[in-house]
Parts: sequence; structure tokens; C-alpha cells
Amino acid sequence: MKATMFLSTTSLSSLIAAALLMGSVGAGSAAEPAVADPDAKVDYSGTISVLTKFGLQQLSPFFTDAAKQYEKLHPGVKVELIQESDDSVKGKTKALVASNSLPDVYFTWTGSWGENFVRGKRAVDLTPVIGPDTEWGKTLAPAAVSAFQYGGKLYGIPLYLDAKFMGYNKSLFKKAGVAEPKTFEDLLSACAALKKSGVTPVSFGNKEGWPGVHYAGQLLAYNVPQATLEKDFVPATAEYTDPGYVASLKQFKQIVDECSDGSGTNGASYASALQQFSNGKSAMYYQEIIEFDQATADGALKREDFGFFKLPVPKDAKGDVKAIEGAPEGYMINTASKNIPLAIDFMRFVTSAENGKVLSAPPYGQPSATVGGYSADSMNPAVVDGLKVIADSSYLMPWLDTANPPRVAAAWLSGLQALVGGSMTPDEVMERVKEAAASSK
Amino acid sequence: MTVTTQKGDAIKTGLARPDRSQWDRLGPLSAILSFRWILVAFVLILWFVYYPIIDNFVVSTKNQDIFTGETSFVGLDNYRRLQGDPVVWTAIVNNTLYAVISVVFQVFGAFVLAALIEGLSEERWRRFWRAVYFVPSAISITVTGLLFYFIYQPDIGLLDSALTHIGLSDWSRAWLGEEQTAIYAIIAMSQWQGFGYSTLLFAIAIQKIPRELYDAAIMDGAGIWRRLWNITFPLTREMTGLMVIVTITGAFQVFNEVMVMTGGGPNNSSQVLGTWLYQQGFIENDFGYGAAIASVIFVITLMTGFAQLWYTKRRRVEL
Repeated sequence: MKATMFLSTTSLSSLIAAALLMGSVGAGSAAEPAVADPDAKVDYSGTISVLTKFGLQQLSPFFTDAAKQYEKLHPGVKVELIQESDDSVKGKTKALVASNSLPDVYFTWTGSWGENFVRGKRAVDLTPVIGPDTEWGKTLAPAAVSAFQYGGKLYGIPLYLDAKFMGYNKSLFKKAGVAEPKTFEDLLSACAALKKSGVTPVSFGNKEGWPGVHYAGQLLAYNVPQATLEKDFVPATAEYTDPGYVASLKQFKQIVDECSDGSGTNGASYASALQQFSNGKSAMYYQEIIEFDQATADGALKREDFGFFKLPVPKDAKGDVKAIEGAPEGYMINTASKNIPLAIDFMRFVTSAENGKVLSAPPYGQPSATVGGYSADSMNPAVVDGLKVIADSSYLMPWLDTANPPRVAAAWLSGLQALVGGSMTPDEVMERVKEAAASSK
Repeated sequence: MTVTTQKGDAIKTGLARPDRSQWDRLGPLSAILSFRWILVAFVLILWFVYYPIIDNFVVSTKNQDIFTGETSFVGLDNYRRLQGDPVVWTAIVNNTLYAVISVVFQVFGAFVLAALIEGLSEERWRRFWRAVYFVPSAISITVTGLLFYFIYQPDIGLLDSALTHIGLSDWSRAWLGEEQTAIYAIIAMSQWQGFGYSTLLFAIAIQKIPRELYDAAIMDGAGIWRRLWNITFPLTREMTGLMVIVTITGAFQVFNEVMVMTGGGPNNSSQVLGTWLYQQGFIENDFGYGAAIASVIFVITLMTGFAQLWYTKRRRVEL
């Protein structure tokens, strides 16, 4: 250990104190609810700040280019971008909230994450401008817009749709004499055959904890009725007693033990698992549709060898077997913004059909939530097919770690790591989740 | 120069301290004039160091929802919660392990290595070995974390491959992925990185010891270990004391290494107080509880510092 450290705990505690100090100053002028005015005249001057989740090198040009084009259209406007990655955006957002410096436009997930901003009166009510009968609302997928509905009002601007699929390498499947699995049992048999052929059946990196949570989320949607799930996501009504929870965790453990590198996966990162799959070292990888293009970007896996399927349904599943885990991801407008009409106008520009097509096509491959915002001709065919599966799904199961309050989410994350590592049983994991839910009431 | 023995006897060696009589004649004015030079620094330290420490204690008595800005006073509830939080105890054990192992390697190990290097007869070899051991300290922790992430990769990593090559394949495992080994893997990386830095500091301390003392000891027939124990060790005691303080307080403030390598997992097994504080504050929105953990770290490191300073002062040897 070096005597000097980049970020010491003293610095951290100072950061906490400083953030709270600034927060408490801001609390005096607590945010007031704001409703978007559809007739507001846009003042095309000044600066708007935007916090994105497009910090990755291959994604960041989308917002950079959009900002440049917008500035060109409106020379009096300057767009300042804060681009964060999927892993860092949560921490960054909280630090900005704590210091009352949230940008004019900021990224959000659906579920309890987005609800935090609504509860704190930090999100503009966009119903008058994005509702289903409005000019802008008609250009966006209705299901995506309604995913950001809280208390009957619409607060979010969906940018793209996301869902989880099992990607697979067709060549490795063929080599092992394996067909695309149709049932959960088929999947386990396929894993055994792939192992025999000398490849890792599923590359799985669970260092971050949430990759395991994503498997569990899809299995929960299959095994636990939707109404029970939604009741359990709310701290006041959460019980987590449905037997489908334990059944799901047992199935997840089976996948880990029979298809992946087992307990060691807790030491591998999500990104390294993706790389393993891209390099043709593993046959399957559970990934988001927005990662389809990354999987075939520059590795050994060619686009024509890439296939995907929904995680197969286990036998006797009691939940919604047509559900898929996923959710749109989008942006909110800060109530404290000095130029709300301009911020809204910028997002209208970003979600235009033209920009949607850019976003949906490689190298971004993020299926736009804008109606007509993608063209099958310019997109990866797998993404186009994935969108059809999403459209046919009966329920979009939200990500467990954003649907639940933070303490329950943390219990899922650490509990599933313990399950993968073998130090906890499914029943013990559920006990931990129940305790966390009880303390979050 | 004055040599003070353990009994407190002082031996004058002819070198006098600077004459302060001119300053003394100015009386209180001197103090005021001196103070203005440090005033800006003093205000900055008050504002950026001492105020946040005090404010941190205040924050730890509150629960605050950062999204709504609502705050409620909870008194010492967050400290009571600390006692029943199993992860806090895991973190304290991990920090203590970090401290003990770091003191063994980075203080005593580095001391012996520095003595061996400084005992080499040719300067070019002394310089070479100092550089060899110092290089890891010049690498950023993020890069080191990534480097060791690949070294510890199960099966294909450098460590597991080496174990397989020497016939110890049974020992290979997912070093960062198993609850039993994750924290030790991080501590080992930390020793690799910090060892050279401590060695260099000890080498500097050893260079200050007059060569005549060693020559006299050699004439008296003292061997290498005797010289190390009776000359080098007592005359580098202040540096040793400082290194113990820095190492122990550093061990209780550790954050980056764990964050980069495991994020505190798997299943919180490699959490240290710093990462658990971060988890509570920035992930679980519980800033009050995070501040309570920060207060614990502050008290531990402060007490360690005072204890070590007191011990070192008692055993000081001046040249």
C-alpha cells in the first residue's frame, strides 16, 4: 500500500460532508414542482447541461454529434455534456443531486430510480408535451413513454429500448451438434454438450454483482406472478414470500454450475465475459440488446455467426412466460433548469426520427424508442429481430437493482454473489432480501 | 551534533543549533509577524480539513434523503447500527489484516531489504536495486489493479499458470472471485506496490547514519546482524515509527485497491471501511450511516497516530 492514495477515506468523508453541506444549503430553496408548458416560447440562447450514460468510447460520439448539430442549428446555444458509463452514472448522479447541481437534462432508468427524482421534485412533469395525444408523444413508442409514468404523470423521455437476451455463437453450437434451446432443460443439455466440445458454454462475469441479478430478474418474471413482483418492489407492501423466488434462484444456480465457470465467475468482470464471447472462447453470453453490436464489433465472432434467444422458460413456471426482462432508458428535465423549454427542445431534437436512425444503426446499436426511428436496412438484423421479440412480450420486467429500493437492491447483489460462490443457499438469499425489504419500509 | 542515549544523556558533538536570539528580542511581535505567513494556509486547512471532520460528525447524527433534501435528527442511532452490522465487522477485520500484513512487509521487510541494499559495496548496484524495487510504486493504482486482475484470472492468469507449471495446479483458483481469498489477493497486490516505496524511505534513513559507527563496530568484531540490530535499527527508529503510522493509517483508509479489484465483493467479503462507507453513502443513499463509518475510521487512525508518536518520542535517538 502506498503512503499516498488517490482518494483516501478522509477525502471521501470530506466529500460526503461537502456534498451534504451544499445539499442542506439547497434544501432551503427546495425544488418546486414544474410542469412543461406546451406553448412556451423557446429562448435559443445560453447553455444547457446534459448528463448521459454514453460515456463508453464507442457510444460517446452520438451525443457529441447531436450537440454539435444542435449548436449549429441554434448558434446562441451551447450544449455541455457530462458523459458517464453504465457503472459510473449512478454515483455521479447522486453526487450531483446531493450538491444540488443536477444538469438541465439527466439520464434515468425506470422504476424506483426514476421515482427518486419525482419524489424529490427534481423532474419536470412532461405530460402536456409528451402525453399520447401530443405532437411529440405521437412520435414515441407509447409503452416506452408510459414506463416513466409516476402518479399518473409522465416524467421521462425514452431514448432507446433495452432487453436481455442470450446471445450465442452459431458456429460453436454447430460444432457441438447443439440446436437453439427451446426450454430451460434444453439449455442445460446444450451446456453439457458444449462443455464436451471443449468450449465454455456461457461466459459469465459477476464481479459487479448486477450480471447475476439480470439472470435472476428474467427467471423471477417466469416464476413469480407479475402482481406479486410489483407488490414486492414497493417497500410498504413487500413480502418476498412467493415460492417462485426460491425456485428462480435454484434455476440460476443450475445455470452457473452447469453452464459457466462456476464460483470463479465472481472474480470476472462483465466486460471480460463479453470479450470471451466476442473472441469465440465461449458459446453464449447473456446480454442486452444494446450490446449486440459490441459483441460482433471487432472480435472473432462474426455478425452472421451471432444468434440470440430469450432465456428459456423453466418447466412449471407460475409467472408470465411471455415476459422479458428489460426497460426503456431515457432522460428527465431538471425542475431547477433555468431554461426548461430549451432543454425540452434539445431532447425533441435528440429523439427525432433522423437521430433515432443513427442511434439504432451500428456502431451504436441502441434501438430507438422513436416511432420510425430505425431502419431495418441500416441496422444489425439481430437487433431488428430482437425488437420484434420485445414487441411480442406481454410484460417488461424491470431491472431488479433499479426497481427495488437501494438497500434491497444491495441485498440482491451481494446475496446472488454468495449464491454463485456457494456460501449461501437460495433460501438464505431470500431471507437476506426479506430483511432488507423490512428495514426499507 | 548531539547524541541522546536512551537514558537521556546528551553528548555534544560541536554542531550548534541556529541562533534564535534575534527573533526572541522581538517578543510577541515576532509571533504575530510569523503568523501572517501561515494565515492563508491556516484558513484553508481549517476550512478544507478540520471543518469537514467536524461536519462529518454532525452529519452522522442525521438521516438525510438526498433526493428530497429531508433531514431528520437520529442522535447516535447510526453508531448503534454500526455495532450490529456484520459487514462493518468484516471490514474492520479486513482493515486490521491489511495493517498487520502491511507492517510486516512494508515496514520490517522493507527495512531489512533497505539495509541489505545499502550494505552493497558498489553505488551503481545500490542505485539499480533501489530503482528495481521502486518502479511498482510509480504505477497508478488503477493500472496496477487491472494488471493484477489479469494476473489473478482463473486458469489463464499468470498466477494460476505458474502454479500449474510447477505442479501445484490444485492451488489454482479464482483468487478475486472466492470469499476466502479475495481480500488476501488485494493485500498481496498492495504489498507488491508499496514495498519499494518504503524500501526507498528506509534507504534514505540508513544513508544518514555515519559510516564511522559501522567501521567501529566492524573493528569490534560485530557481524552483519549485530550491526543491523545495534546500529541501523536504533538509528532509523524515527523512520520506522513514521512508517508504522503511515502504514497503519493507510491500511484503515484503503479504498482504491479494493474498489478497482473487487468492489468489496464477492458477498461483501473484501469490504473495508472505506468501500463500505462509499456503498452506504453513494449507492444506498444512506449518507448519515456513511458518515458514522467515516467517524470510526477517523477515530481509529487518530488513535493509532497518537499512540505511535508517543512511543516513538519516548525511544528517540538523535544524532
